[in-house]
Amino acid sequence: MDGVHDMGGMHGFGAVVETGGELAYHERWEPRVFAISCVVGVEGLGAGPGGRAVREEMDPARYLAASYYERWLYSAEQRLLGKGTIAPGEVEAMMERLGAGEAMPGHHDAAMAERVLENLRTRMAMDPPPEPARFAPGQRVRVKRMHPPGHTRCPRYVRGAVGVVEAVRGADRLPDRVVYGENLDPEPVYSVAFSSQELWGPGDEPAWRVSLDLWDSYLERA
Amino acid sequence: MSEGHGHHHPRPASAVELRARALEALLAERGLVSTDAIDAVVELYENDVGPQNGAKVVARAWLDEAYRERLLEDAVPAIAELGFGGAEGDNMVVVANTPTVHHMVVCTLCSCYPWPVLGLPPIWYKSPPYRARAVSEPRAVLREFGLELGDDVEIRVWDSSAEVRYLVLPMRPQGTDGWSEDELAAIVTRDCMIGTAAPTANQPAIR
Repeated sequence: MDGVHDMGGMHGFGAVVETGGELAYHERWEPRVFAISCVVGVEGLGAGPGGRAVREEMDPARYLAASYYERWLYSAEQRLLGKGTIAPGEVEAMMERLGAGEAMPGHHDAAMAERVLENLRTRMAMDPPPEPARFAPGQRVRVKRMHPPGHTRCPRYVRGAVGVVEAVRGADRLPDRVVYGENLDPEPVYSVAFSSQELWGPGDEPAWRVSLDLWDSYLERA
Repeated sequence: MSEGHGHHHPRPASAVELRARALEALLAERGLVSTDAIDAVVELYENDVGPQNGAKVVARAWLDEAYRERLLEDAVPAIAELGFGGAEGDNMVVVANTPTVHHMVVCTLCSCYPWPVLGLPPIWYKSPPYRARAVSEPRAVLREFGLELGDDVEIRVWDSSAEVRYLVLPMRPQGTDGWSEDELAAIVTRDCMIGTAAPTANQPAIR
């Protein structure tokens, strides 16, 4: 979807380098939210379409105002609510209990910890690409002009642009549909290189190159 | 260590912190999420998995030409030789800087990042300014990091918004002849492997 998360090329956000920005997080609750999200995924406690697509559906003003792990908290909660693992109002009720001074409940299950760690250690590689794929390295391709309302890995700033296939990375199911539960066959994923001129027009900086990995469905012959 | 056990809050918890603790509490009370599992994930990325892993990969590649070739040809098994791999490192490509090509990595859509070799990404990597500007004015961004590249150096930006995760193999700096693998790894900072910095012989690694 064409949300505020699709930030490539946007103006007005200011400087990259800021005090404290070199840290992975500022506060102790943040890595715990990251960890909860991992556990929710591994233990199957949340509904589709996955944390990333849920975060993209956040209200744009709220998305921009939220810190990074605040968005993760939002997606974990939405996924748990979507599956019925928790019910509306239950988080708020627990906030009141903790706010009134109740101790944090703990739950111990070493086997669950091991399952989650094992999942994080496990590689889930793409399939090898089909032989031959529709496009070969060196071939020019155009990214389709499109406006998908749901999750996509095709950023706005490359749509309509012509690039050159650099490599066939593998085969994978199209995320635009698979995150919503569709059964799909894997399709080739290509690394496509674009010139800065093609993406942004003339500029002050010497030309550079931007490369992205794009699913076959995003591309057409140029 | 779980929240609430020996952890001191110097100020009242913010609304979002309270909400995060409430979600953890709710799931723990129901027996759905174990405190051990949360602690284990937090500790994994605080202690075991971080840029120190990627630095070992880079140092090995600087010292061992055959390893470097394997790494650039097929990164996942080469990285696994050093014992690293797993989630968000499922499909890896290593790109090597040269005197005329400088690579840098971004994820414009989110925060994709090679966890097994770099750990969890820094705040700036996930923030709107970097995600917006790395693809559209990379030199201005690198200048903010203090990295000035000559006009003869081509910048190649990798927007890792799909399933492949990228690691930059920086150039070995001058003045490091005869250094051991550990000594070399110590000057390879996280930012060198994202492509927003270059290692130098006299600069200790800042994680």
